[in-house]
Amino acid sequence: MKLQHHLGGLENLGPVAYEPRVFVEEWEQRIFGIHVAMMGLSAHLGDALPEYPIEDVPTAFSSEWTWADLRKGAEAMHPFAYFQYRYYEKWLGGISGFFVSQGYISAEELEAKAAQYLRDPERALPAGGDPRIDDQVVHYLREGDSPRRGPAESPAFAVGDRVSVKDVPPTEHTRLPGNLRGRTGIVERVFEGNYGYFCSTGPDGIGEPMPVYIVRFEPADIWGELAEPGAVLYGELYQTYLTPAMEEQR
Amino acid sequence: MTVQFDYPEDREARSAARAHALEALLIEKGVITDATVDKVLGYFENDMTPLNGAKIVARAWTDPGFAERLVADTPAAIAELDLPVGMAGAEGEHLQAVANAPGVHNLVICTLCSCFPWPVLGLPPYWYKDPTFRARAAREPRVVLEEVGLKLDPSVELRVWDSSGHSRWFVVPQRPAGTQEMTEEQLAALVTTESMIGIAEVPSSVA
Repeated sequence: MKLQHHLGGLENLGPVAYEPRVFVEEWEQRIFGIHVAMMGLSAHLGDALPEYPIEDVPTAFSSEWTWADLRKGAEAMHPFAYFQYRYYEKWLGGISGFFVSQGYISAEELEAKAAQYLRDPERALPAGGDPRIDDQVVHYLREGDSPRRGPAESPAFAVGDRVSVKDVPPTEHTRLPGNLRGRTGIVERVFEGNYGYFCSTGPDGIGEPMPVYIVRFEPADIWGELAEPGAVLYGELYQTYLTPAMEEQR
Repeated sequence: MTVQFDYPEDREARSAARAHALEALLIEKGVITDATVDKVLGYFENDMTPLNGAKIVARAWTDPGFAERLVADTPAAIAELDLPVGMAGAEGEHLQAVANAPGVHNLVICTLCSCFPWPVLGLPPYWYKDPTFRARAAREPRVVLEEVGLKLDPSVELRVWDSSGHSRWFVVPQRPAGTQEMTEEQLAALVTTESMIGIAEVPSSVA
């Protein structure tokens, strides 16, 4: 079980760090841009809805890289470190680790190059590259990578149905917020179409296209006496996470 | 956790060196070009900024029919407006607006990561990505809102949307009082990122 899968409702964290900036250090922009480029050059985009000509893009990148990969990295962290490091520090660790583990670069050359930049922060970046790489990245930004697949099959639940959230086995990665596991709510909306996910999450259950629902939860059903009055919590849940509500749970 | 006792003083310098080293190596290896990162950043500096969301909100305030369509079919309503190409692109594939109203306030969170409607709001501010915000806003949203400066009346229903699926949510805040004479452009200038996530109301004049 991962703390990162059960953040909602965690107690005793103290005040929110209210920092309205998007980036607080210049280098954070660079790792953000690298991540977006990886998503825009990901090998899976040949199968995306816009049918990107990804095999014709002259990049040395031949891997799949999606949000799922970035999230898996963050969810694989020591739970204390997850709180300790800033958002883009986690990205930097996960993404540089990926390029080393996949053999694009070696740990030694990364360390050596980093030592050069540490000694000379103003050192210029190397020049060059085929502009078709950038064209594909911008193409991806403008066209996206929708998980919607159709046609819609008959959804198992309808608006107004009472549903219970399964307690699926813990896995490397999930899109089921931990605080909703085992809870009962009411279907508020059934989305048109079916929705896949970037990867299979195994026994967790998502990946193949399936209906998705908005389920309305009463906070008191989740948090008991700790719930705030006058609030409603909505979860957006894949069908595999839901089961008809048991009579005794009413 | 050895970092309790062995915390590098040059943490930022080392991260910066590592990020620049990684970018340099990826350029040398032909993964990206010397312009890729700047083009990505330019896309968010020039095209996909919170100004898009502000224009959408201002139109909703001045056109009740648009306001209804915006909630009913958000992508189609947004496509009516003259906004940059890519509003349905990366992290905008399935935009979903929720509207505040008298007695109803909406708050968007992401307890599992930091899902955010890029084309409408640009990139997420740090507080939204903070695990403490994400954890606490699920259970005690009113307390969290009050900490960041928004005190909701107890009679207001607070609707919290956890972005765990394909939708990317944003809030249509209420039009502030005393703005009847303002043009759509003037109204758009009032709308803040924070109000479109749900941790603030829109002020009646630009701060």
